Amino acid sequence: MNLAFDPYILLGIAPDVSTEDIKAAYRRIALRLHPDRNPNPGAAVQLQDINQAHTLLLDPAQRSAYDRTRHERINPAHPEFLLRVTPSKRYVQTLPEPQVIYLLAEIYTEQSTTSEAEERSREARLNLTIVMDRSNSMSGTRLDRVKSAANQIIDGLTPNDIFSFIAFNDFAEVVIDAGPAQNLAVMKSRISMLTASGGTEILRGLKLGVEQNKKHQQNERVNHIIMLTDGNTYGDQDECMLLAQAVAKEGIGISALGIGQEWNDEFLDTLTSTTGGVAEYVKNINTVQRFLDDHVRSLANTFAERLILSIAPDPDVKVESAFKLSPRPQPLVSDRATIALGNLQYHRMTSLLFQLELPASQNAGFRSIARIAVQGDILSQGAKSYMTVSDLSLGISNDAEPEDPPANVLDALGRLTLYRMQERAKEALDRGDVKEATRRLENLATRLFEHGEEALGQQALAEARKVSHTSTLSEEGRKALKYQTRSLLLNSGET
Amino acid sequence: MVVCPHCAFNNKEGLLFCEDCGRRLITSDNSPTLPTKKVDENFDNFARRPTWGTARFETEASIVLDIRDSNKPITLKPLDQMIIGRVDSSSPLAPDLDLTPFGALEKGVSRVHAAIFRSEDTLMLVDKGSANGTHLNGQRLVPHQPRVLRNGDEIRLGKMIAHIYFKSVTA
Repeated sequence: MNLAFDPYILLGIAPDVSTEDIKAAYRRIALRLHPDRNPNPGAAVQLQDINQAHTLLLDPAQRSAYDRTRHERINPAHPEFLLRVTPSKRYVQTLPEPQVIYLLAEIYTEQSTTSEAEERSREARLNLTIVMDRSNSMSGTRLDRVKSAANQIIDGLTPNDIFSFIAFNDFAEVVIDAGPAQNLAVMKSRISMLTASGGTEILRGLKLGVEQNKKHQQNERVNHIIMLTDGNTYGDQDECMLLAQAVAKEGIGISALGIGQEWNDEFLDTLTSTTGGVAEYVKNINTVQRFLDDHVRSLANTFAERLILSIAPDPDVKVESAFKLSPRPQPLVSDRATIALGNLQYHRMTSLLFQLELPASQNAGFRSIARIAVQGDILSQGAKSYMTVSDLSLGISNDAEPEDPPANVLDALGRLTLYRMQERAKEALDRGDVKEATRRLENLATRLFEHGEEALGQQALAEARKVSHTSTLSEEGRKALKYQTRSLLLNSGET
Repeated sequence: MVVCPHCAFNNKEGLLFCEDCGRRLITSDNSPTLPTKKVDENFDNFARRPTWGTARFETEASIVLDIRDSNKPITLKPLDQMIIGRVDSSSPLAPDLDLTPFGALEKGVSRVHAAIFRSEDTLMLVDKGSANGTHLNGQRLVPHQPRVLRNGDEIRLGKMIAHIYFKSVTA
């Protein structure tokens, strides 16, 4: 039986319970998640798995077959990944008004390594495609730096890895055809001959990149496309999104490095996060090598790939926002049925912060809040699919003791607040409320100074002045504030 | 509803940071704001060290901070920039190195007191405009003017004295 999940864990019951207990447990969960009662798309997704678990356990033949193999599946030599959910409060006060609660979800593996040899042997095999913008604006230093960064990546590949390279402007061209990384010198010389010209049409490059990546797509590999661009694409954005949605379903990740000020950050943020990838801002071209190197390294360090999370709040609970804190900070779309999270690395946890709203005037007692499920493929165990679930309950009380929120939640939220302030300033400006935007930027500057982020604080202040005079942000300042307040989150959650 | 004590914005119940000004909202009152105490100006200055340690700081090295009157030295890997100070409920952001457990409040350490950051292959120390100042080997630093740190240097934050040592990976 090749199940991704343990049906007992999914239903939240012990393995030796009676059929009646299974039915009762199923009824409890179904009442919370059934689409007739629960409008959240995440609930419907989770109910499918629960239905499957329930059917299996109710069939005596299937149940005993599963029970026989169960002890083999739980093998301490092959640990899986874990999910830990920490709420901002364990007890909440009954109130005549709605209230907010935060959930910190941390996904991690306890697999530790003993030797360097072992470390190397467990390195994930890559199927990597680099899609490089070679439009006119890339000419000169930009192209040189990107080329040498690509060369360094090639030097780090092993014959077990698959590599392909696409260059695009108004056309796209396969520079290195997808295949095992064997003749590195030839690969590098092909890249070194590229010159810059023309415009930027991302769809062409992306399409060809996907085509190349698919050639060697395997579940045992980390299948990933990294796009490097410095320009804005026009007219083909919707098609790019559709393509990203399609490849996300097939388990291919897309990440982007945006160089300079011209590229469209909102577009690339959405495009990449759909697939579990991330877009990053390379402000200074001299750092592109480090960005690319970090990125490829984090892919090679994959423990589990194609991590997918679903959150099913109880019918009366609302998910207000979701944010990925680590390994790379990123806002997430919280109203999707599933959230693609990309890969889980060995030594770095993937953590998310959810903001939920609880209804007003609840009765005292214990209640369930939300069920979070995470599924992923563990590469070192033959891409074994695995799912883990956390079902969170809280105490509701008429006289809840004031409780200090857990330090990790508080710390993460403090840093996230800075990112949010920058976002709200931009929203105010988009609405045309210049005064409000200025005030928010000034507030942000003050908070940044307090944290000792002087350079960024100065930039916020400069943008505040600019907004009050010209009613616009500078493109550079806006990107710097957005991505640097975001990267402040990186210092948290690391242990 | 939680009214922000700093800007009087009405926040939804349960929020931990003000939606408007971004400052920490305090719901339990057991963590009041504690301003940095002014310490006695005539605090004994220390003689200059006769010899200098190396200023070279390897990428992978760690630093050991030996705080006087504390029996456990802190070992840490410096981030690109590491803020040293003490946690206080009124500011949303914790310093990277919180000295509260070492009596930071009594010794006049500011919330954001100083920072250690990397520069090429050295470490720099900079005073972040603290109330009681930062001293390096007995010399008071001009705020916001970084100075190179050397192995074995003595740092004073307010009244808190610590020695810093570089610990290379090979050692």
